[in-house]
Amino acid sequence: MKVPLLPRVAALAALIAAPLAIAAPPVVEIEIRDHLFFPSTVRVPARTKVKLVVINRDPTAEEFESYELNREKIIPGGATSVIFIGPLAPGEYPFFGEFFPKTAQGRVIAE
Amino acid sequence: MLLSTLIVVLQEILEAALIISLLLVICRLRGASGRWVWPAAIAGAVGAALYASLIEEVSLLFDYTGQEITNAALQLGIYLCLAASALLMGCGTERRERLLRLTMTLAVSLAVVREGFEILLYQSGLMASPELVTPLLVGATLATGIGASIGALFYYGLLSVPAAPRRTLTLGLIALFGGNMLSQAALMLIQSDWLPGGAILWDSSALLPEDSLAGQLFYALVGYEATPSLTQAIAYFGGFTLLAGLAAAATRCGDNPFTQDHRP
Repeated sequence: MKVPLLPRVAALAALIAAPLAIAAPPVVEIEIRDHLFFPSTVRVPARTKVKLVVINRDPTAEEFESYELNREKIIPGGATSVIFIGPLAPGEYPFFGEFFPKTAQGRVIAE
Repeated sequence: MLLSTLIVVLQEILEAALIISLLLVICRLRGASGRWVWPAAIAGAVGAALYASLIEEVSLLFDYTGQEITNAALQLGIYLCLAASALLMGCGTERRERLLRLTMTLAVSLAVVREGFEILLYQSGLMASPELVTPLLVGATLATGIGASIGALFYYGLLSVPAAPRRTLTLGLIALFGGNMLSQAALMLIQSDWLPGGAILWDSSALLPEDSLAGQLFYALVGYEATPSLTQAIAYFGGFTLLAGLAAAATRCGDNPFTQDHRP
């Protein structure tokens, strides 16, 4: 019996994509507006890698920095950026905007 | 504003000042000229301006992780230049000397690109507000002065160490700097999800917080992290061992100019 090519390819693609889809880390969005983080408290699952999507609505660049998360990245003005964090042990992880450290502060809570 | 500018700029300058001082000490001890450092710094500044102007495009690459990949490539490049320099430090033929100057020039240029682009991005955003221009310029000038002074202190400090331990100390510091570069490159690749982070090995944040003055200084000097991951530690110690081994093998050479004191 001859199986048409297209369904076979589709089945194969589904087989390959399925584990990838399961493995895709949860996405959490943070916005920067007027040198503040929104939301300033972010809850993420513990012991799981998380994809932070940081959207900078300000015209100026900001640096997302956290000693506790071991992360540091410049987010250009008006740009969107991605930072992978974790897997984290349950707990609180403060972060701040290094370019405007007085105002831009937040924390990740892993639970 | 002045203080936070000073801190941001100084953090970036310290690392570049450190590697420049170390390489200049080596040149001095070999009796070679250190004048290559000026073209290296200028090339680095041009590169930093280019990188900063392209930051939005770069950030979009590799699914929004182009910045990490570029930074990791720069840090890996610095490491390779240091490794090549260590190999070339042995018996000095004319050709080797020229190559050594080239690898040192490249190492410093890449370091200035890596550190300089962050300073430029920081400044370009703030320069738009007229009231911030003065504190920015004063802060940046102070930070440059302090960074250069620490570099000079380091340079003369190393030169004043007796000749025998100085050689080991200088090479050891270069190997530490190299390990730090590889560890930072690994961190960038972890952040962009190209490498797994592995377990957190220890937490010394209570003992020596990263945001303390000592923590910052140790970060610039030896890449101190309060909570390093396994992958970073492997990169650090692997990079350090390889570079120290290369330097030790290359400088164990008959008439090695590096062991002699060329000071008048």
